Amino acid sequence: MALRDIKPTRSELINLKRRIQLSERGYKILKMKRDGLILEFFKVLGQAKDSRGALLAAYARAEEMMAVANTVEGAIGVKSAAFSVKEVPQIAVRQKNIMGVVVPEIRGSSVTKPIVDRGYGVLGTSSTIDETAAAFEDLVEQIILSAEIETTMKRLLEEIEKTKRRVNALEFKVIPEQIEARDFIKMRLDEMEREELFRLKKIKARSTGT
Amino acid sequence: MAEVISGPAPYIYVSTRLRVRKAKLLRAEEYHRMLNMSLPEITRYIEELEYKTEIDELAPSFSGVDLLEVALSWNLAKEFQRVLALTPGAMAGFTGAYLQRWDIANVLTVLRGRTQGFRPGKIKEVLIPAGSLDRAVLDRLVVEEAPDRIAEGLRGTHLYPVVERELSAGIESGNFARLENELYKEYYSDLIRVARSGVRGGNEFLQYIQLEIDITNMQNLWRLRSGGATGEIRDFMIPGGRIPVEELNRLGSAETTDEIVDALKKRTNIPALQDAIEELRCGCSVRQIETRLIRFKLEQMDRMSRRYPFSISPVLVYLERKYYEVYNLRAIARGKAANLAPERIQEHLVI
Repeated sequence: MALRDIKPTRSELINLKRRIQLSERGYKILKMKRDGLILEFFKVLGQAKDSRGALLAAYARAEEMMAVANTVEGAIGVKSAAFSVKEVPQIAVRQKNIMGVVVPEIRGSSVTKPIVDRGYGVLGTSSTIDETAAAFEDLVEQIILSAEIETTMKRLLEEIEKTKRRVNALEFKVIPEQIEARDFIKMRLDEMEREELFRLKKIKARSTGT
Repeated sequence: MAEVISGPAPYIYVSTRLRVRKAKLLRAEEYHRMLNMSLPEITRYIEELEYKTEIDELAPSFSGVDLLEVALSWNLAKEFQRVLALTPGAMAGFTGAYLQRWDIANVLTVLRGRTQGFRPGKIKEVLIPAGSLDRAVLDRLVVEEAPDRIAEGLRGTHLYPVVERELSAGIESGNFARLENELYKEYYSDLIRVARSGVRGGNEFLQYIQLEIDITNMQNLWRLRSGGATGEIRDFMIPGGRIPVEELNRLGSAETTDEIVDALKKRTNIPALQDAIEELRCGCSVRQIETRLIRFKLEQMDRMSRRYPFSISPVLVYLERKYYEVYNLRAIARGKAANLAPERIQEHLVI
């Protein structure tokens, strides 16, 4: 707001003071929120590191098991067993709130199944198929867990960034401008008061002179 | 000229021919040499063996390690069909019954593939017509849209009664696992029936089948236990072995591994099998134990074949040895393609 647009009136000064108070309160709250979000972010970051590590390990294990299954059963045997899987894992996404940030809560169902529910017969397959299926079920579980944690982390980061921008705007732009405007109005009002006083003195001097 | 299909002559003829064929199969040292070769070298090596025709035939449709695997499977199917054609009379009935497991695998692949909406061409790639259902029958089945039409296509075959009985439940649940288990149970009960039908070496074969049933049941008991199955496991056990299904069912809900190992060890008097069972206690992977049990089964078969040289045993030994030659070659090629260490591949070889 340019200073020339400001009306140097007493009511404007009162309004401005009220606005400064509000901005300072908002600034403090946003700063607290930012710090809180950063703390929360570091907590999630730790979980994300663990889950990413577990995900990579599960992926490596699944890949290795697939290689072993192809070695033992052949691609033909693996494909034939894969034909029997009909039930696709279901994923339910709900929402939860962390300091005003809406983050997903992802739950998978029918991901890990007991051997008898996988669709293939026990008598016509070998344990390699079981171990490979279990490795891939574990991988899907880890993907779901990582998806939840990493999306939470991403949303928290976005919110931290947004809050930081707001805090900076208040700290370096809004509040200084309001203070400048307040000082300007004060100065103008003081000046006007002095002019008024001077004018009165002049009138008084003139009237006593005549 | 009239064909001799009874008396000792067919046994002598078939056993001699298959013994010669068995002698041509790859030896352990050849697998060891292949483990140190690169994939192209292995491909060249396999091409120089009796698999050349299939590799050349399939080269326009497949490439790389897929070509090798499909060629090996085709060769296996052709070889089994040749053995089936070679065996006369009761031996043919027995060989046919023994190869029926391939029919089960093929029919289930067709059923599952079509139910899941896979194209016929895609399903054909994974069929191995090594049983009594030849490629023409399987080609007819694979183009059928609905499972009941596929079942109808099996009318008149040995699989039809079980498929007819179990299919509707399978369609309803979308899961053919029970059908698969029932087909394998029927397969073993057929084998027992054939072994008792008066073929030479039938009694010994019956003992072998019972041993195989016991070993399969033990493996599955272990798999079900480590796979989180609790409660009744009766439906997953094959009747006809020496260990009663009821006892296996009881062991399925046993609290400790030691309890199972002790109970199973008491049921056998073969030291090698007792050693394999003992390994369950040490927490080895199920796969390692399975491989050990397979090696043990093959040794038992070889012993049987030496003891009864002119019986059905040499046929059996050749079929199994041929299957494991293809299995080992495929394992080496696939393992190399997946960059598995030679020691890791060797763990899975049945030599």
